[in-house]
Amino acid sequence: MAIAGLIVTLLGFGISVASLGMSSSVSGRMVIVLVGLVVSLVGIIGMINPAFQKKAAWRK
Amino acid sequence: MTRRIAILAVALLMVSLAWAQAPATTPTPAPEAPAAAAPAAPPPAAPVAITDKDLTSVPTPAADARAKGDPDGSLTGTVSDVVVADSKKGLTIADLANQAGQNRVAINFVWTLITGFLVMFMQAGFAIVETGLCRAKNANHTMMMNFMVYGVGMLAFWLIGFAIQMGGVGALGTLGSTGVLNGEYTMKLFGKDFGLWGQNGLFLMHKGTYDVAVMVIFLFQMVFMDTALTIVTGTVAERWKYAAFMVSSFIMGGFTYPLFANWAWGGGWLANLGGNFGLGHGYADFAGSGVVHAVGGITALAMGILLGPRLGKYERSGKANVILGHDIVLVLLGCFILAFGWFGFNPGSTLAASGNGALRIGSVAVNTMLAGMAGSFGAMLYMWMRYGKPDASMSGNGLLAGLVAITAPSGFVNPVGSVILGLIAGVLVCVSVEFVDRVLKVDDPVGAISVHGTNGLWGVISVGLFADGKSNYGGSWNGVNGSVTGLFYGDASQLVAQLIGVCTLVGFVFTFSFVANWIIDMFVGQRVSAKAELEGLDMPEMGALGYPEFELKASAARM
Repeated sequence: MAIAGLIVTLLGFGISVASLGMSSSVSGRMVIVLVGLVVSLVGIIGMINPAFQKKAAWRK
Repeated sequence: MTRRIAILAVALLMVSLAWAQAPATTPTPAPEAPAAAAPAAPPPAAPVAITDKDLTSVPTPAADARAKGDPDGSLTGTVSDVVVADSKKGLTIADLANQAGQNRVAINFVWTLITGFLVMFMQAGFAIVETGLCRAKNANHTMMMNFMVYGVGMLAFWLIGFAIQMGGVGALGTLGSTGVLNGEYTMKLFGKDFGLWGQNGLFLMHKGTYDVAVMVIFLFQMVFMDTALTIVTGTVAERWKYAAFMVSSFIMGGFTYPLFANWAWGGGWLANLGGNFGLGHGYADFAGSGVVHAVGGITALAMGILLGPRLGKYERSGKANVILGHDIVLVLLGCFILAFGWFGFNPGSTLAASGNGALRIGSVAVNTMLAGMAGSFGAMLYMWMRYGKPDASMSGNGLLAGLVAITAPSGFVNPVGSVILGLIAGVLVCVSVEFVDRVLKVDDPVGAISVHGTNGLWGVISVGLFADGKSNYGGSWNGVNGSVTGLFYGDASQLVAQLIGVCTLVGFVFTFSFVANWIIDMFVGQRVSAKAELEGLDMPEMGALGYPEFELKASAARM
């Protein structure tokens, strides 16, 4: 789960860089970059952190 | 009642700031009066060339006058102090021109060095803020991490980090370099050159980098890098194994920080988003909200997740306990030291006090202090309204949050913009601390993730919103003519460049830091034993107590 989260987080970065080639308009790029940002945040907050929280000492 | 007054005060402040931020209306010009029969202006006098011979007639202070001393300073610093290349020929125009050039570079050298010294002193501020926010049983350990991060980071940066960051930046215009830092490694993407890392400058000897200007820029960039490293020690304080701290800090100073810094400041691909893709002036980060603070804060988040919370921070139900620091006096004193050091951080980032629009240093300094003030007000009022008391440690964090947020835009915004973004930063840091603590359940004893991570990202974004297009650092920024201008002043593309920088920080820097530290965890182990943590890290990790004459008592609430 944590490794998948890392891949998703990196994917978000890749999407934002890809916006440079996928669109030439400012608004188009802005939308794609924001999508990339959301994907990265999902990777961190929704996948990596929960994976590590599962084995946190305070849960035992 | 207090709450109502506070709400009213904030509302009034926001309305007045919004009004002041509105662009001034241009007054309608008065109709021109019919041209009067004014006397014709005399033709401009033809320029007269000055020759070397003319310089011989410039009066110099008499030797007997100089022999009596110069109490009013009128005899010191005259033509007789200009360096002459050939004493037989005497003073020439070439001597004057060379002196003028050297004076400009000398002013810029001294400015950059002194502001770098101020930034170095911020290490002391970080050390006592973090130690004050930790428990007394970990004082030696926390201070030692803050002390040695300076040396570990410097070593890594000298060996390789500086070359990666600045090895391909090109000529350092304001510092008069000969341009030996010209080895950027690039790859082609979307038909454009993407600068990835620099290659010149290993050990400050490689490929002609034993150079006076290179030494100045090394010192300045080194202390910035160390600031980023010391952010991480706060988040994982009270549970980080000292050996792992050493290895992790070396990796961050040698690779993580320099890579992103190259992309933003070293001529890398983020800086060239303007020239290559028409996105404003490319990623613009005047003094490092992103490069320094967000890199530190994002790495701190990765480390906080990886190490897990301190014992006793969360109950089995998930409820968060407050673990108080041991010395609020140290905390607020440290915040003041940091605010003082920030006058090196932001105004120093012009790398000049002479030429290239560098006289804007006054504006940069004022923006810095205003945003810090607004940040401390924002946090104090938020805490007062929400919890009934003006919390001291969060007021300090609000000050720092405002300063972090203004770091990127300090060179591009006006005073009203600075106050607005500082005020937002002050509230944002409080909201972010609660989110990190209660929702993410990531234990951050000093609030570094929120102060530096969240507000570092906010600072980067705020350039794309508040940059007013009035700055002019030599006529261009990142190779794009004109001034950096944000969305509120008409350029939405600058905001896109800033958001790509944010995605790089969140997506790339986080992943890089997390993977590197996960590997360190596998080989060295990142976290101390539960026994050592409960005892306090001073004896198990450092072999000596921070306060040996104090009797430290453990209680359930302060475990």
